Amino acid sequence: MDGAPKLARLLEHPAIWRGRSAARLEVLPSGFAALDERLPGGGWPRSGLIEILIARFGSGELYLLLPALAALTRATEARWCVWVAPPLMPFAPALATAGLALDRIAVVGGARPLWAFEQVLGSGACDAALAWARQPKPRELRRLQLAAERGRTMGVLFRPRSAARETSPAVLRLALTPLASGVRVTLLKGRGSDRGTIELVWPPGAPGRLQV
Amino acid sequence: MALLPIPGARAADEAMPAAHVVPLRALASPQLPNAPARELWAGVHLPTSVPATTLQRLALRAEAYTPRVSLEPPDGLLLEVKGSLHLFAGAAGLRLAVTDECRRLGMPSIVALAPTPRAALALARAGRSHAVLEMSALTGALAPLPLAALRWPEDILGRLARSGVRTIGAALRLPRSGFARRFGAAQLATLDALTGRIPELRDAFRVPLRFRRRRELTCELENHTAILAALAPLCAELGTFLRARQCGVLELECRLGHRHSPPTRCLMRLAAPATDAHRLAELLGERLAALTLPEPVRDCELRSEALVLHRPDCLHLWQPGEHGGGLLSSEASGLIERLRARLGDEAIYGLMLREGHRPEAAWGKTAPPSISAGSRTPPGHEPLRSHRRPLWLLPSPQPLPVEDGLPRRRGPLLLIGEPERIETGWWDGGEIARDYYTATDRGGVRLWVFREREAPHGWFLHGVFG
Repeated sequence: MDGAPKLARLLEHPAIWRGRSAARLEVLPSGFAALDERLPGGGWPRSGLIEILIARFGSGELYLLLPALAALTRATEARWCVWVAPPLMPFAPALATAGLALDRIAVVGGARPLWAFEQVLGSGACDAALAWARQPKPRELRRLQLAAERGRTMGVLFRPRSAARETSPAVLRLALTPLASGVRVTLLKGRGSDRGTIELVWPPGAPGRLQV
Repeated sequence: MALLPIPGARAADEAMPAAHVVPLRALASPQLPNAPARELWAGVHLPTSVPATTLQRLALRAEAYTPRVSLEPPDGLLLEVKGSLHLFAGAAGLRLAVTDECRRLGMPSIVALAPTPRAALALARAGRSHAVLEMSALTGALAPLPLAALRWPEDILGRLARSGVRTIGAALRLPRSGFARRFGAAQLATLDALTGRIPELRDAFRVPLRFRRRRELTCELENHTAILAALAPLCAELGTFLRARQCGVLELECRLGHRHSPPTRCLMRLAAPATDAHRLAELLGERLAALTLPEPVRDCELRSEALVLHRPDCLHLWQPGEHGGGLLSSEASGLIERLRARLGDEAIYGLMLREGHRPEAAWGKTAPPSISAGSRTPPGHEPLRSHRRPLWLLPSPQPLPVEDGLPRRRGPLLLIGEPERIETGWWDGGEIARDYYTATDRGGVRLWVFREREAPHGWFLHGVFG
């Protein structure tokens, strides 16, 4: 009869702990419904380290993040979105077209990207931070994860595909493979989420979509 | 004590014939004409244009004549000299002394004295070095001056000139309400301040505060930690100094003196006014660690640039990043300073759009995003550009090998869609004529490539779509 609402209320009890909702994450919708369904909590985690593993630079990894970054930078109380040691120059007109507010974006260049990334994550001044790293040590990753939680920052670290075999303290790990007009997302790790593969197609008119 | 109207005075006022009141008194001072002026202002006009710093230097020197000095940029200075007239042999003596002061700084000047600051300045700017000591003589002295001396906007002066009003006297004779309606309330307020009808409050010039302390060391130091420890008392002193004045520093210089070599200088620029001595000491430590010293250090000195008023942050109920919590300027500026101290001043920057069709000229680096705390208005939606642009741009186009007229990069590239022609920049030497294509390589990575329109029609890689 009315068992379901009662059960739901019972499960709300703080003493009851369930695996799937373990983290009670504060999340940010990714902008892709199919992806949100599979991500723990229904979106990108607002704080913590996300690892995105890509075989090659330019596999569609940024298009996956752009809707979320646009929402973050356009918020009234937006903090910064910092790009740490990007391999090429982020092209401002394309970012503006994708809806990002440029007055909330900062780029950190130069040597020592991991140190800078940790400073950025832990500062509390950023909503999101992106970094590109070749081979961070497990200890450094742990520090990055702790810094991201301390600063309540969504830290995105792009790493090569080969890192999939290593363990990582990241909240979420994804691997990407580019498709003709989309991307295949493989969930490698997520708190309370199942693993699996999702094929995303960029919606028509989205910046990632090819015009053929 | 309440002020009661004096019956006799009121009667005299009412008995005054109306015809007497209309023209000149329409705008003139309500003070009794024979009342002694409460203030006397010396207006200094510098006919040659001077930089703001020279005006400040003059203001510093002018403090020898009176404690009340006020700046009127770009070329005026006001001194309230009522109290100090007798020290300088009266109005003539004082005027001479101030003129001499300007001449010593290499500037010609015109000095006029009047009971209101605006009148003194107007006289000086009109080139009359009069000394009007009484309120009663003020309107008469001002009347023949051209209106240009008041520095009103050009269009208002033009409109007044077209209606035959060219002097201050003529303007004073106009009816008040009509004047305010036709020429603006601000202009009427100037006239009121000119004649002393309403008192004008002027901001006093204050000498910019600086911090400067030096410390001789008892022995020569080489170790960075020891030097930092020797600087600690100076930093603590700076902290107390700043706290007492509710000010912060934006620029701080640390000088380390040696026996033979010139002193080593270490300049710190801060992103926001800093007041916390601990934080300053930490930043100083970062900077000193990067320094190489030619010789052991014998003495150290801390110097600040002009202090700025510090407004502490409001604290939020929410943590930053929590629902409702925004950016705290202390955190943002702390981040900028830490990155700059370790990686150099150019380490962090923001992005901006530029007007330009050339991809390389369509963006630029700018200062890091503003660190103002609190809410802001989110930007409106940018007009959607019709052209596709990659998310990444190469610093300069990279030539691609060509096979059968088609570009290659780790295998042949597949060109997609119609080309976009960009042909511009002929006027500044950066002329380009290119056909841009989107291409995918074997790994599925999408690239932005172009073919030059000029011979030899080379192919170049210019961007990556991300």
